[in-house]
Amino acid sequence: MLFFSFFKTLVDHKVTVELKNDIQIEGTLKSVDQYLNIKLDDITVVEEIRWPHLSSVKNIFIRGSVVRYVHLPAADVDTALLEDATRREAAQTSARARQG
Amino acid sequence: MSFFGFDTTLPRDRKVVPGFSSQHDAFAGLEGGAADDNALEFEDTYDGLGDQLSDADDALNDDTFGEQPATQAGVGRDFDFASRTARVADAMQEEQMIYHARHGINKPQAPPPVQYQPAKTGYENYADASYIPRLEADAALWGIPPKAAEAPREQPGPAAARKMMSLEEVEAMMRQQSVHTTQQPAPQSIAPEPVPHHQQQFQPPGPPPPQFSGPPQVLQRPHPQQPGFLPPIQQAIPHDARSFHERPPMQAELPGQGVQHPQILQRPKQAPEPSNQRQQPRQRPPPQQARASPQPRQILQNPNRLSGQGQPVQQPRPSDAAGQRVPTGPAHQRGPSYSGPIITNPQQILQLSDEERKAYLIEEAKRAKRNHKIHMLSKDNGLMTPQDKNFITRIQLQQLMASIGNLDEAGSPEAIISDDFYYQVYAQIRGAARAHPGQPASQFAQTYLFQTGGRYGFGRRGRQGNADNHIQRMEQQVARAVEAAKAKPKNKQLVIEGSLGKISFSNAKTPKPLLNIKPAALHHAEARPGSAQGGKDPHGSVKDEATERRKVLKDLETVYETLMAMEDHDRRMPPPLTEESSADLIQAMMEWRHRLGQLNKKLWNGLRVMEPIVPGSPIPHPFILLVNHGKGMKALGRVFRHIDDNQRLTITTLTLINLDHLRVIQHGVPPPNSTTLPQPIKDEIDLFTATINPLLFAVFHDSPLNVVVGLLGLIVERTTIPWLARTKIGTSILTLLVSRAEVLREALVAQQAAQMLPAESLEQQLPDLAAYRDTYTKLFAALEPALPFLFGGFGHPAKTETGDDVHVWQFLACIGAAADPGQQQRLVLGVKDRVMETVGVARSLPGEEGEKRLHKVNLFMRGLGLDVELLS
Repeated sequence: MLFFSFFKTLVDHKVTVELKNDIQIEGTLKSVDQYLNIKLDDITVVEEIRWPHLSSVKNIFIRGSVVRYVHLPAADVDTALLEDATRREAAQTSARARQG
Repeated sequence: MSFFGFDTTLPRDRKVVPGFSSQHDAFAGLEGGAADDNALEFEDTYDGLGDQLSDADDALNDDTFGEQPATQAGVGRDFDFASRTARVADAMQEEQMIYHARHGINKPQAPPPVQYQPAKTGYENYADASYIPRLEADAALWGIPPKAAEAPREQPGPAAARKMMSLEEVEAMMRQQSVHTTQQPAPQSIAPEPVPHHQQQFQPPGPPPPQFSGPPQVLQRPHPQQPGFLPPIQQAIPHDARSFHERPPMQAELPGQGVQHPQILQRPKQAPEPSNQRQQPRQRPPPQQARASPQPRQILQNPNRLSGQGQPVQQPRPSDAAGQRVPTGPAHQRGPSYSGPIITNPQQILQLSDEERKAYLIEEAKRAKRNHKIHMLSKDNGLMTPQDKNFITRIQLQQLMASIGNLDEAGSPEAIISDDFYYQVYAQIRGAARAHPGQPASQFAQTYLFQTGGRYGFGRRGRQGNADNHIQRMEQQVARAVEAAKAKPKNKQLVIEGSLGKISFSNAKTPKPLLNIKPAALHHAEARPGSAQGGKDPHGSVKDEATERRKVLKDLETVYETLMAMEDHDRRMPPPLTEESSADLIQAMMEWRHRLGQLNKKLWNGLRVMEPIVPGSPIPHPFILLVNHGKGMKALGRVFRHIDDNQRLTITTLTLINLDHLRVIQHGVPPPNSTTLPQPIKDEIDLFTATINPLLFAVFHDSPLNVVVGLLGLIVERTTIPWLARTKIGTSILTLLVSRAEVLREALVAQQAAQMLPAESLEQQLPDLAAYRDTYTKLFAALEPALPFLFGGFGHPAKTETGDDVHVWQFLACIGAAADPGQQQRLVLGVKDRVMETVGVARSLPGEEGEKRLHKVNLFMRGLGLDVELLS
């Protein structure tokens, strides 16, 4: 749930999603779910020459499994908090694993 | 006649309008026009009770009359009138005759013959005595009004005659195609209908019509003509009959017989389909009634009770019909969408305008279609009992809860925090819009649980009693199941015999592992580095460094874990104690404090502050190792919030003593062949400045002069001042200390001045000031040789391009301010070249850049009580 929790804080921020087929789409993150499916609004394709067929698309739903990277706006990421969240998640997971 | 009992005739072909007139005599048509004269008009006989009924709460009918909808599965197939009942009737008749022959007519027979009991299933409920009072009470209701008793007498003949008609009779009649006006009173009214069965037992219905001499059923009728003589089969009923005049409501007093009584009444519940049942009376009421003549009550009442499961028998028909309309679904006769007048009589249709009629017919067709559809769909209704559904719901809930995790964990704020930590905290920090504060899946589960409980509670309050009980039971079960699932080791994978592979369970929380590494292998892998280390390879030092680093990082993680635990613990702080706090609260506070102490101790140990300091050791103190990591620096800020002043001072002291071992100082001087620091070190220095300097400053700020002087003395004693002075961190720490001491000294001097004491005696009176003076002198002495090198690299004192030298000027300014005149002289000598150079460069630089540099120099000059302007 860490990444879900994380991406939720990026809603309404500009992100660039790089797909596994090399398309990079920039847009405003509208929503994200537990599978990290992503909804983007006001999208633009980074290399529009290569993928002209997307030039008329305004918003898009991306299945989480086809995402390679999400480029984040650094200013909107609280690294210390993220570290702690990661620690918590790890602690939880290991506690659960120990619990069996 | 369709299989489902629908009227398959098209609305336009339909002469009889469904609705209340469903009791319309189906044989009225056979009698031709002559019958119409004698036909009872529905409007004439209808008492209008049905109109007073409200359909509003029909949805609650299930509560009142039982919860199980009548379905094919739930209803027995032994609903036949033609064969078994007739046989029973014959047998009963025989019995009756025998009895009559033996005993005369005085007494009712003892227990009825066994064959009377039809083979039934599903009547077990009605063995329960609790059902009787309801039925009996209603029977009494029905029986009490004298009007009801009299009503049948007014037209006994026709009614009885009509009831007596069997299928055979009808067939014969149809064959004859003759008109019998007397025997066939046309559309039978509803109100009198339930009555005849009583009347048959003690009220002679008049001579049997001659036309019916043929069928054997007619033979049964003699018994009603002998009121005192009761057929054995009706053993339960006779009381009803006999006592009718004497004590009408007496059934309640005869539970033993009541048990059988309801059985008879119960029959309609077994009827295959509500719709069937409702249609049957209309389509062929006479056969049923004729066959049933020995048990008139049983049969005659069928139309009443057919669709109202468990419904009181004696309820008047109209209310029955009205009450059933909604709940029985398929059987209901009027769609809710039809807004026109309620048609209860065919003639009403004729009175309607064309449009209305059309609308009505369309509506009818629609309804029929809909009913059929519902019927098709309801084929599988009732396959699952409510218990089954409960069971499934429970399983689903268990899975839901199990996938969420711990039951006690789920739903608590802790779970929300830990599951959605980043978002929740981020939202709090940044004030992001929280559309749904804290709505994890677990809460869905809770909500769902609640709703389900409510729903069942609503539907079952009739029999299962308390709805709360049910919810509780369910919750307990869920809790128990989750507990059990927790207790036994989870099967991550399942190998089913004969399956071609492993089936692994996965959910969003614990995705299916793609790599299946056995724990044993993992253990082995962990053990390996140790064994390799045992071998002590030639690169031992490298290895050591790596392990050392790993160890430090691990320690840091422990620190962080403790920190998080402490932060969690802080959130759980009980409300502040007041004088009227309860004992529980005080107890909670005590426990909280105790736990806080434990955590503090753990944190302290984790920081390794108290490990012995080995002076001159090449190996840095463990605490310094922690602080040398960026993570450690960041942690320290949080650590300081959770420790007390003494601990803070201890950490500060430890840090200052070991300044030489800090990486930011060790590597804080540019390497010989370069003027600038490598980027990683620069970043570290920035981090240190941002994280630890403020902490130190805070500690210095809170300390009295003697402590500050003591710290300064420790630095002078234990560290290499010349080196320190060339690093950014070193200079800034020294600046902090010296400036703080200077401020304190000024304050003291001002105080002394206010008290008009001679300045000379100041240092004698205040040993702290004397100590400061001593320490400063030592510091200056140590610093003096390094003065020319304070700015950057050794061989490049002229490199003024580096703009990042404010800290040096600040340091010089503060040293200069604290120095006595002799020291100031030496200080100026030491940095004179640099000052002149900088001023020269600044003058040559245009505008802002030059201003900036001049300003920096001026910092220092002012510290000496001079100004840059004087240099020109």
